[in-house]
Amino acid sequence: MRQLKVALVLLIVGGLMTTAAFFMAFYTAEVQSFGTVTLSQQLDTAYPLTEAGAGGFTYGRPWFSQKIFYFHVPVALASFLVLIIAAYFAVRMLLTKRKEFDTKSRIAMETTLVYVMLTMLTGVLWTRASWGVWWDWEPRLTTYFILTLMVIAYFVLRNSIEDEERRAVYGAVFAIIAAINAPISFFITRIIPSNHPVVFKSGFATSNLIPFLTAMFGMLMLGFAIYVIRMSEERLRERLDAAKTALEG
Amino acid sequence: MNALAWRQFRALLRKDIVMELRTREMVTSMGLYALLTMVVYQIALSQAGSLFNPADIAAGLLWLAFVFTSMLGLNRSLVHEKDQGCMEALLLSPVDRPVIYFAKVIGNLAFLLVVEVLTIPVFAFLFLQGRERGFNGPLWLIPLVVVAASIGIAGVGTLLATMSVNTTGKDVILAVMFIPLMYPLLLAAVSATNAALLGGQAFPVSLVWQGLGIIAGYDAIMLLAAFGLYEFIVGA
Repeated sequence: MRQLKVALVLLIVGGLMTTAAFFMAFYTAEVQSFGTVTLSQQLDTAYPLTEAGAGGFTYGRPWFSQKIFYFHVPVALASFLVLIIAAYFAVRMLLTKRKEFDTKSRIAMETTLVYVMLTMLTGVLWTRASWGVWWDWEPRLTTYFILTLMVIAYFVLRNSIEDEERRAVYGAVFAIIAAINAPISFFITRIIPSNHPVVFKSGFATSNLIPFLTAMFGMLMLGFAIYVIRMSEERLRERLDAAKTALEG
Repeated sequence: MNALAWRQFRALLRKDIVMELRTREMVTSMGLYALLTMVVYQIALSQAGSLFNPADIAAGLLWLAFVFTSMLGLNRSLVHEKDQGCMEALLLSPVDRPVIYFAKVIGNLAFLLVVEVLTIPVFAFLFLQGRERGFNGPLWLIPLVVVAASIGIAGVGTLLATMSVNTTGKDVILAVMFIPLMYPLLLAAVSATNAALLGGQAFPVSLVWQGLGIIAGYDAIMLLAAFGLYEFIVGA
């Protein structure tokens, strides 16, 4: 019960923080200029075409689509973080062979799935507003898509193994392999030039840092709340199973 | 590597090759599958029109055929080990796990290379005839790209196939894990093969070396990871 109380507090505080960040993003944060975006073809966007030449069509970035920065970036960063945590538990599981680490790794992976889906959803909306297309095969989007497929594959793999011990080991191995992708996806926009903005490298106003950090911690708290709630549910289920076996005994 | 491990490695490799020479099952089924893929390509490209030049996407088509063929082969190679109880016997015998892993990898790599060597001329015969004048790239680098990328395919594929044969979904599970994980390697392989084939100003030789560098890095990282993780997989 204590865990559920902790989870409830985290849920409320995290929810309040993300809501506060939402209002701050629109009322206190400065409008950041993100320069321009160059597309290979002329597209039907609501934003000004500043240059059309041999290199492509350059558009000014729309001001309001920048607001997604306060949700998309925190949720994406949180998804990387939770995936690394899942891989950490997977390593502990392989080293100790204890079942609780397998459960922890799996629950962390479930949280990753939720966050990855949220990142994809907000990202696709932003892409349509900013680049005029719903999807583009550019480095960051591609690597993140691969990451999404791997997180889904993790659950497909687990569901097709009956033996419990084997499921734990295979799941852990695949979680570690999948986590190799997180740093690749994070650093790729810093290595290969792409249309995906790298905000922290291109300069950042202080008044924008407050809503960003509020959203970041809010998202992390919400993620931790999901994790704690699912963990306590798993523990209850394990106790129920143990009680059932004892009664049948 | 000490002398004992080397002897065990050779014995394991010989087992796979002798079995293949007797049944010819893997190379036959993989080769036939690659040929059927060519038929499917013809259907896919049949409405492309006369302006379309298959050479522009030849590298992509070739690697597509290799990927699907290798998945078939990897699955078969590990299903044999499991169904006939060979894997259990191997694990009971006093052989280091990495030796088993590398013997399987080299065996799979050999079969994959045989099929690839057979597929490339057939592909060129069916799709690239009369277009030789367009090939300005360093063609001699293609075998290097094929071998380097095949090492990665066999290395990662053997690890994943060892996992997938113990699941209820077998080949589907292999595909679900294999293709996302292969993505960087395949992209680099297609880019390098394309540059080695077409060449010219649009695809300079530096693209081939860049692709080969990525492939080499991928091979090193993934073989190292597989080397460390294989013991856990066969132990479960």
